Amino acid sequence: MYSSATERAQSQLETRPKKSLSDHSFMPPCQVACPLHMDIREYVDLTAQGKIMEALQVIRNGNPFPSICAHVCTHPCEDACRRGQVDAPVAIRALKRFAVEFGGDRMIRPEADTTHDEKVAIVGSGPAGLACAYYLRKLGYPVTIFEAHSELGGMLRVGIPQYRLPREVLDTEIHRLTNMGVEIRTNARVVSIDLLLEMGYKAVFLTIGAHQGLKMGIEGEDSPGVIDGATFLREVNLGLKPSLGEKVAVVGGGNVAIDAARTAVRLGVEQVKVLYRRSRAEMPANEEEVKQANEEGIEIMFLAAPTRIRRRNGHLIVTCIRMELGEPDAKGRRQPVPIQDSEFDEELDALIMAIGQAPQAPGNFGVRLGKGSTIQVDPVTFTTNRVGVFAGGDAVTGPATVVEALSAGRRAASRINDYLNHRYPLPEKEAGDSLSGDLHPETIEAIRKVGRFEWLTTAPEARAKDFGPIELVYDWEAAINEARRCLRCGVGAEILSQDKCATCLTCLRVCPYHVPHLDASGSIQIPVDQCQACGVCVVECPAKVIALRKPHDRRHIDQELDHILQTAAQSNAKPLIIGFCCQYGLFGTGTLAGLWRGAKGGISIVPVLCTAKVEADHMLRAFEVGAEGVFIAGCGEQCARENTDFWVRQRIAKVRRTLEQLHLEPERLQCFTTTATSNGDIGQRLEEFAERIGTLHLASIIMQEVRK
Amino acid sequence: MIVAEQKKLDEIIRMIAPYERVLILGCGTCMTVCGAGGEHEVSYLHNALRLAQAKGSNGTHTISEYTLKRQCDTEFLDMLAGRINDVDAVLSLACGIGVQAISERFRQLPVLPGVNTSFMGMPNEWGIWDERCAACGDCRLAETGGICPITRCTKGILNGPCAGTKNGKCEASKDMDCAWVLIYQRLENLRQLDSMRRYYPPRNFRVIPRPRRIVTKATVAGGNNG
Repeated sequence: MYSSATERAQSQLETRPKKSLSDHSFMPPCQVACPLHMDIREYVDLTAQGKIMEALQVIRNGNPFPSICAHVCTHPCEDACRRGQVDAPVAIRALKRFAVEFGGDRMIRPEADTTHDEKVAIVGSGPAGLACAYYLRKLGYPVTIFEAHSELGGMLRVGIPQYRLPREVLDTEIHRLTNMGVEIRTNARVVSIDLLLEMGYKAVFLTIGAHQGLKMGIEGEDSPGVIDGATFLREVNLGLKPSLGEKVAVVGGGNVAIDAARTAVRLGVEQVKVLYRRSRAEMPANEEEVKQANEEGIEIMFLAAPTRIRRRNGHLIVTCIRMELGEPDAKGRRQPVPIQDSEFDEELDALIMAIGQAPQAPGNFGVRLGKGSTIQVDPVTFTTNRVGVFAGGDAVTGPATVVEALSAGRRAASRINDYLNHRYPLPEKEAGDSLSGDLHPETIEAIRKVGRFEWLTTAPEARAKDFGPIELVYDWEAAINEARRCLRCGVGAEILSQDKCATCLTCLRVCPYHVPHLDASGSIQIPVDQCQACGVCVVECPAKVIALRKPHDRRHIDQELDHILQTAAQSNAKPLIIGFCCQYGLFGTGTLAGLWRGAKGGISIVPVLCTAKVEADHMLRAFEVGAEGVFIAGCGEQCARENTDFWVRQRIAKVRRTLEQLHLEPERLQCFTTTATSNGDIGQRLEEFAERIGTLHLASIIMQEVRK
Repeated sequence: MIVAEQKKLDEIIRMIAPYERVLILGCGTCMTVCGAGGEHEVSYLHNALRLAQAKGSNGTHTISEYTLKRQCDTEFLDMLAGRINDVDAVLSLACGIGVQAISERFRQLPVLPGVNTSFMGMPNEWGIWDERCAACGDCRLAETGGICPITRCTKGILNGPCAGTKNGKCEASKDMDCAWVLIYQRLENLRQLDSMRRYYPPRNFRVIPRPRRIVTKATVAGGNNG
C-alpha cells in the first residue's frame, strides 16, 4: 500500500514540521496561532536575507494556496506576534505576499501520481474543499470536486470581493489543481450522497460552506430592496450588477458587512452606511478593512440596529434604535441593550443584511446537524454520522476564515487517508514546546524600536471606482527591512550543559537584552521566551557551553571557509581577501555583492547571519587558510540588534593583538560598517583595503627573498 | 577566585618548540571564569598556533585540545590517562596549581604553563579584573571594614593612610583609590572609626613557613579513608 511517493506526501501532510536532532527551538507564537502552523519565523528570516525563493519554498511547504492567503488571510499570526509588545507586529501577510510575487510562485507546478484506487468525492470547492483535494491528490488518490456554481472557489469566488482577491490569483491556484489531475465537475449540485457512493466514491468530503444569510426576524425584512449580504456579494461576484439606488445601509459588523458596503461603493452607490449594534471595540471585522472602508467614504454608525422596515414611495423607511453596551456575555463580548424611546428613521433605497450566515445542508444528505445548522463531526476524525462521509470548513464551524478552512481541508485529507487505509487516525503531532508569555519590560526597552514598514495601497478615490486590486506589494528594501523586525522568538540561546557551565556570568554581563539571570539555586538561566537570539553570549561564553537553539551558523561558517580554501587553491588569485559579510539588510539585497565584484584582487565572501556571530576563531582561521587580508562587513547602525558593532570590534582587537605577535600587520584585519545614512563609501574603502593588502603581500614576498 | 592571563604567543611558541605533539589543556573552573584558559581560549590558542605554523614559525606540531573540569585534582587528571600517550607535552592553561598537579600525576610527561597566574581577585566589570586578596594567612579584614590594605594599598601598610594620599587617590597612580581612604570612609559609615585610632604592629611575613599546609582531618587510629 505504501509507496515511497505516498510516504513523502504523508510527511508533507503532517501539520507541524519535523525537527532535526540538534534543533531545540520552540514554536513561536505566530506559528502556534496559525491554523496551518506555518513556519513563519523561517520564511520571514529567509526574506530578511533576501532569499525569496527559499522563503516561498517554506511557505509552500505549509500552505497549499499561499497566493490566496497572501491576499486575504486574516493573519491571526500578526495578532500573536510579540513584536506587537515592542512597537507593532511584523507585517507577516504582506511579507508572504512579497515572497509570492517575487519568489516565482507562478512558475511552480506541483505534480501528483495516482497510487491509490479509492476515489474520493469532494462536495463544494471552497478553500476547505480545494485544500483537501490538493493534499489527497498529493497522497495519490483520484479526487473529484463537485461544485454547484459555474466556477470553482466557493466563498473565495462568490464571497470575497475581487478587489481583495483578484480572480487571476484564484484561477492560477485552481489551474494547478487541474494540472495535478483533480477532476472537476462544475454546475453539479450534489443532491444525494447515496448516489455518490453508488458511483464508486469510497469517501465523501462535505464542504458546502455557509452561504445562507441569517435573518433578524424584524417586521418588513422580506420587503423588496432588502437583500442578505451573502446573496448580494454572490450576485456581484458572479457578474450581475444589482441596482441599489443612491442610499444604502449594511447591517452587521463582520467582514461580510464591510465587504458588502465596499462593494456597494464600487457599484456606484453614493451614500453607504454600516449599522452595527455594538461599538468599534467589539467589531469583528478586520481593523485594516474598516480603516480602508472609512477612507472610501463609508460611514459606520455604531450602537444602532434596525427594528422595523417599511416601504413607502419606492423607498425603504428603516426604523432604527440606539443601543448601549450592557454586561459581557459568556464570550466576554458586551451585549447591546436598546435605549428606550431612541428610535429614529432612515430613508434608504436598499438595505443589506449581513448579520451572519449558516450552512444549508440538504435534508436528504442524512448527516446530523448541530447548532446553527452546522454539520456535526468528530473534531478529531472529521467523520459525520455516516460511514465514509467527512465534513469540514464553514459547513462545520459556521462562517470562519480562509486559513481555518485550509487547515480543516488539510487535516481532513489526512483523516480520509487514515480511513481509506483502515487504520486509526494518527494522533496530531505535537512539535514539542511552544513559546508563550510576554516579554519583560526591561527586554522590551532594550529592543530597538523600528515601526512597521507600510506597503502601498491605491488611493481611496481611485480604488473606490472599480473592483481592481487595491493593495500593492512591498518593494525589496521595505520587505527586507520589515522582515528584519522579526524577534525570532524561540530560537534563542540555551546552555547545553549546566555541569560544564562555570557560572562565570559572562552571558549575564554581555547580553544586550538583560535576559540571562541567576535562579534561586545559583545556576544561570537563559529564558527562551525572552532571548532575542543575537548570539553575543554564544560567542563570548568562555566555556563554549551556549548554543543557539537552531544551530547552523558556526558549522556554516566553517564550511564556507573550507569552500573558499578549495576555490582559492584552484583559482590562484593572489592576494586572497576573505570577508565575513552580514546577509541581512542591505547586504542581502546584493548591494555589497555588486561592490566586491569591482574590487581588485580575489575577494571571497563568507555570508554570515549577523556579524555578532563571527568568532575570533573564524578570523584566525581565515588567515590560516591563506587570506592576506580579512574584513568584517556588517550593518552598523542599521543592525536590527543592539551593540553588534561593539562586540565585533572587541574580537577584532583581540585578533589584531595575536597578529602582531605573529609579526603580521594588524591592518590586515578591518571592519566595515554602513551607517544609517550612507553605505556609499564602503566600496571605496574596500578598494583601498584591497590595494593596501596587495602592497603588504608584495612587501612580504620581497622580505622572503631578502631572507633567502 | 584565581585570576591569570594567557602568556604571549611568542613565548608559548618558544616553549612548545621542542615538542611535536602538544595537548592544549584547559581548565573549567577559575581559568574559565577569568577567561584565560577555558574551552574558548583553548580553541583560540589552538587556532593561533596553527596560524603561526601556517605563517612559517619554526617547528611543526600536531596540536590537540581538551578541557578538564579542574586540573588541581588527581581524579580529574586521571581522565587524561588515555590521551597523554599520544602527546609529547601538555600545554596547561590552568593556574600554577594545575600545572604542578599534572607534573605530579604524570611523572614522565613534560608540562608547560600557558598562563601567568596573577592574583586572587574579582571582576570589576566585563573584561576588567581586580586583585582583592594576598592570601597572607592572617586576615585583618574585621578591623579594616572589610577592605584589605595588604592587597589594595600599594605599600601594603597596616597603619594608613600614608602621606602619599591625595584626593582619595594613591600617589602611585592617579586612577587608583587609596585603600586607607576607602577604609576610613567605610569605618565612618559603620561608626567604627575608633578602630582607625589603634596601632597595628608590623607583621613578620618571613615566619610564614612555605609551602603552607592545612590539615582538616583529625588523626584517628585505624582509619584508612584517604
